[in-house]
Amino acid sequence: MEFRDYYKVLGVERAASADQIKAAYRRLARKYHPDVSKEPNAEARFKEMQEAYEVLKDPEKRAAYDELGANWKAGEQFRPPPDWGTGFEFSGGAGHAGGAGRAAGARRGAGRSGWSGAGAEDGAFAEQDFSEFFSSLFGGGSPFARGGGGAARDHHARVGLELEETYRGTTRTLELRRPEVKPDGSVELRTHTVRVTIPPGVTEGQLIRLAGQGAPAAGRGQAGDLYLEVHVQPHRLFALEGRDVTLTFPVAPWEAALGASVTVPTLGGSVEMHIPAGAQSGQRLRLRGRGLPGQPPGDQYVQLKVVLPPASSPQAKALYEEMRGKLDFDPRANLSR
Amino acid sequence: MAGVTHRLEAHVLGEGDWIGATEICRLCWLDLGAVMELAELGVVAPRGTPPGEWQIPATALPRLRVIGRLMRDLGVNVSGAALALELLEARRQLERRIRALELLVSDH
Repeated sequence: MEFRDYYKVLGVERAASADQIKAAYRRLARKYHPDVSKEPNAEARFKEMQEAYEVLKDPEKRAAYDELGANWKAGEQFRPPPDWGTGFEFSGGAGHAGGAGRAAGARRGAGRSGWSGAGAEDGAFAEQDFSEFFSSLFGGGSPFARGGGGAARDHHARVGLELEETYRGTTRTLELRRPEVKPDGSVELRTHTVRVTIPPGVTEGQLIRLAGQGAPAAGRGQAGDLYLEVHVQPHRLFALEGRDVTLTFPVAPWEAALGASVTVPTLGGSVEMHIPAGAQSGQRLRLRGRGLPGQPPGDQYVQLKVVLPPASSPQAKALYEEMRGKLDFDPRANLSR
Repeated sequence: MAGVTHRLEAHVLGEGDWIGATEICRLCWLDLGAVMELAELGVVAPRGTPPGEWQIPATALPRLRVIGRLMRDLGVNVSGAALALELLEARRQLERRIRALELLVSDH
């Protein structure tokens, strides 16, 4: 696995104070928060920062991380030292989850990922989604792991769907990584694969529950649930708003002026639509029930875009000249009033 | 190391689903006080009493989860997160309108 330089991720010196680390984290969190940010790769950056802050905000984890030495470079191949974690005293070892951790976790636990981490009801963090590097040092089985003896936890992940997939429904194969402790006490991320059937009509931000796919409880308790948050990818033709879709649809001037019957693409296939005579560019026509399925289903809006034929041939030029001569049309009539 | 593939049926939390206050808190990283404040602000419209036994429509989940994440990750309070949510939604709406207008005037 690759070494991660948590100081570099947060852009602070190794000697930075707790306040400086907190300030750096908050500044970056504001910039890269996936709900707010327009930065490319905001989500990946945010996860990195959360992982770095999870370690550097905690004096015990930070001290242990610093013990690895200052000579490691980000990206270097890394294995935890065999005596990793010995010689430290821990305030929160296995079985720490709940209690004090519970209160701190619910509202201000800035270190956890909302995207694929543990639920907030206990003091554990999103080790499921943190890097292998993090898991090997601070995950389950390490002296730093919290929540090892705790309650079941929900996990959260994002799932990106194409618009067509949300229309028709789809299946997704998810690879879920969980840290597991090997017999020798070391930790590895174990992947297990689940195939999920997603029904038609899911919308942006909607939650899908997969019962029992979260983190298992200690002993024989029931596992938590896995929640998938749907994010619909932008589409080449259709803009999505709720369950409604909008298509910008080019028409010829004579179709707009005289009315026409046209073939319009929809998510469910092409349909015939009537353009009323006298239609204008920007006018929106509605195809009821042609949006995403649901109760009620969404609609498709067709935004007309009148496209002028180029006056590139003698015939086209002649037609434009004929219009100029014969039509009493002033496109700037409003300006002269 | 790959494990066995399990096929799972997904339950979509959507129209018609009502979710208890405790579960809302868990799913949205909020505490009950925050949910009560959000009800006061009109962000959610719960049914039932007392607040601990409120039922909240699952359609509110996407907005509540954004609010919960903003509070947790950026350290803003309930009103601040609710305001940020409204501004984010307004920004998204404007971006959609701009995109639609751009398509009207572009060559493609």
